[in-house]
Amino acid sequence: MISLVARRILQLILLLLGISFIVFMSMYIAPGDPATVIAGPTASASDLEAIRTNLGLDKPVLEQYFNYLGGILHGDFGYSYQTGQTVTDAILTRFPNTLKLAIASMIVATIIGIVAGIISAIKQNSWIDVTSTTIALFGVSIPNFWLGAMLILIFSVNLQWFPVGGLNESIFSISGIKQLILPAITLGTASAALIARMSRSSMLEIIQSDYIRTAKAKGVKQKSLIWVHALRNAMIPVITVIGINFGSLLGGTIITEQVFAINGIGRLMIDAIASRDFPIVQGTVLLVAAIFVTVNLIVDIIYALIDPRISYD
Amino acid sequence: MNEGMIDGMKLNRVISMFAILIASVVLISGCGNKSSKEISKEKKQEITYASTSDAAGLSPIDTNDSISSNVTMQVYETLFIQDPETMEIKPLLAESYDNPDENTWTIKLREGIKFHDGTPFNAEAVKYTFDQLKDPDRAAPRASLLEPVDSIEVKDEYIVELKTKKPYGPMLAALSHTNAAIVSPTADKEDDINKDPVGTGPFVFEEWEEGDHITLRRNEDYWRDSADLETVTFKIVPEMSTAISMLETGEVQFIDNLPSDLLPRIESLNDVKVQKSEGTRVSFLGFNMEEEPFTDLKFRQAVAYGIDQEAYVNQLNGLGIMNESLIGPKVFGYKEGAEDVAYPFDKEKAKQIIEENGYKGKKITLLAANRDNYKKMAEIVQSQLTDIGLDVKIETMEWATFLDTARKGNFEMTFLGWANSTADGSELLYPNLHSDTIDASNYTRYSNPEFDKLVEESRNNVDQDERLEKLNEANIMAIKDAPWIVMEHGTVSAAYSKSVDGLLISPNGQWSLYNVSRK
Repeated sequence: MISLVARRILQLILLLLGISFIVFMSMYIAPGDPATVIAGPTASASDLEAIRTNLGLDKPVLEQYFNYLGGILHGDFGYSYQTGQTVTDAILTRFPNTLKLAIASMIVATIIGIVAGIISAIKQNSWIDVTSTTIALFGVSIPNFWLGAMLILIFSVNLQWFPVGGLNESIFSISGIKQLILPAITLGTASAALIARMSRSSMLEIIQSDYIRTAKAKGVKQKSLIWVHALRNAMIPVITVIGINFGSLLGGTIITEQVFAINGIGRLMIDAIASRDFPIVQGTVLLVAAIFVTVNLIVDIIYALIDPRISYD
Repeated sequence: MNEGMIDGMKLNRVISMFAILIASVVLISGCGNKSSKEISKEKKQEITYASTSDAAGLSPIDTNDSISSNVTMQVYETLFIQDPETMEIKPLLAESYDNPDENTWTIKLREGIKFHDGTPFNAEAVKYTFDQLKDPDRAAPRASLLEPVDSIEVKDEYIVELKTKKPYGPMLAALSHTNAAIVSPTADKEDDINKDPVGTGPFVFEEWEEGDHITLRRNEDYWRDSADLETVTFKIVPEMSTAISMLETGEVQFIDNLPSDLLPRIESLNDVKVQKSEGTRVSFLGFNMEEEPFTDLKFRQAVAYGIDQEAYVNQLNGLGIMNESLIGPKVFGYKEGAEDVAYPFDKEKAKQIIEENGYKGKKITLLAANRDNYKKMAEIVQSQLTDIGLDVKIETMEWATFLDTARKGNFEMTFLGWANSTADGSELLYPNLHSDTIDASNYTRYSNPEFDKLVEESRNNVDQDERLEKLNEANIMAIKDAPWIVMEHGTVSAAYSKSVDGLLISPNGQWSLYNVSRK
């Protein structure tokens, strides 16, 4: 296990190095000049030149890249071209919001997904099963921005149960929880649907297996049959889905953050791309990549813990 | 076959747990709802404005975008100010000015004004600010505003003298520009005013949670009567439809720059007032004047005759004005009737010119940025130009790529806009159409020595009547020469809660909250 973690961490470092190079070069090659965006269309040629020199954009690209890498080794991820804020600060102030949102969505998705999946499986072909699989199909298909806008119109504007947007209150307060509910549902729906489908098929497979039939024949109670014998095995593929989904939820909050006016990493990234704020783009992409790889590693470890047959040594 | 593996009771238990969960959520929501209504009844003197993006910074020297200006305008003040109704320039931090000769501007400042940090406002502060704005090391994005200024001298504690290289007609307009606002020298030297702004304005900076909101509070020691509003919040809401929902629920009280397609929804809201008025912004179709066939006046005329701006403006739900003059009615330099020399919509005439000059079936690429109304313009113009016999392809790009491409002249025809925030025609014609600014802001790369001369005469003259004449001549020349076909002159718009009183949007889209109150 320890060698697995060490190997993965080494891979992570190499991966991040590769990603940083690709992102740096692609931002450099991509059309669009940060100075033009900062100065706006009204700026004169000399205004632009001064801004470029100021940002160090007049240096050769490889020199810029190695300066950047050198900075990272000292924990300096650079400054935002737009606001002058350090990349670390910009990320640290926004990451808690994205994390809150991703965790809340994951909780919503996991509870709804697993419960719906299991009920569907044990009540296979009943009306509950049909309803739940149909809803799951819609859940996977509905685009986030539409669902978010609809939830706002129904629950915020008409019923006035929740605020329209923002995520700046403590999650330990009622207003904080209320701010989180609609975005979490919006972001979590697709994952809930996916988890439901996965749980259903996995559970169906398990409850039809020989060992369950044997257990049933031996008179094991239904409750322990489902929750003890079947669930643990059925959950192995589901955990993979949950893990991978959590990684993508953390990186995929862009639209939900946009619709609900949440100040998170997704919005920071999209704004930075639009304004060619290279250091911020680099920082956020590296963060999302690191999270994705780490979450996958954690999933692998949980795998081994759940299923004793899996060993990485 | 799996039926009955869990008995009905268990299932019911799970379902009832869900019901309890949902009920408690509803209950929690119900509790909070009451308090939000109570708050709205109290009518505190506070306002929340939904801003589509975050400010780039809060220093007028270091920024050049309208979102940042919305905030800096409340915190800082300029020497002169444009009246939001008449666009007439009046002294603000200045008391009066004098031109002892054409190249000298002697400005007498108001006495007894202090910056929010207690630093006295005086000629030193003005000199410091303008020197910083012009300093190449500072790389101020709007350094060009004071480019014609050669020296800034302190004559007395409250008298400052600006010397220009050549007579500079739009000086007062430049000094009224938000990016020429006066900053506290102490604060700028000791701190970062881009994060922690210090001006003389009616509101004092309180907090900036980057990406989320900016809060200002009333300046209790303001040199005029204090503002009515105690707190002003700029809440960042990137999605316009979300901002409208927030306006509806009272989470924000004020939004501006209303998109035409969402206007019917906004106008249908109860308790919301919509303000629309003629603005200084102009949007146009620009030709690349260095490329064939756009170098041919006949071709440009044909395109001008072929475009029916009304078809486009009619789709804007009243958020656009049709007038084919380059200098719009709200901009200094416009004289009524200038648009009469333009080429009005005449499809047959356009077709005829195209055919006579062998342009039938000519392939043209129309570049459009994928923001504002540019895509809509592109679709309408494409269909109209197809009707007159051209083969038009649309190419869309995101904004940063577009700016870079257009600036380099890598296009045939494209849509552009100019905010005209100084509302002075010289500041439209010089940066956009003077040959000096090719490779910079003259995206259409128009070069006409005769026109250049008129624009220079309008700039290098401090007699405003003479300037008006020169600008009108230059305007008429450019309309006839048609490097641009004007698509619309913009309107400025805002929607706000009926409890907001005294809000006035200036034709350049800016607004001050000084006279605003909640009733």
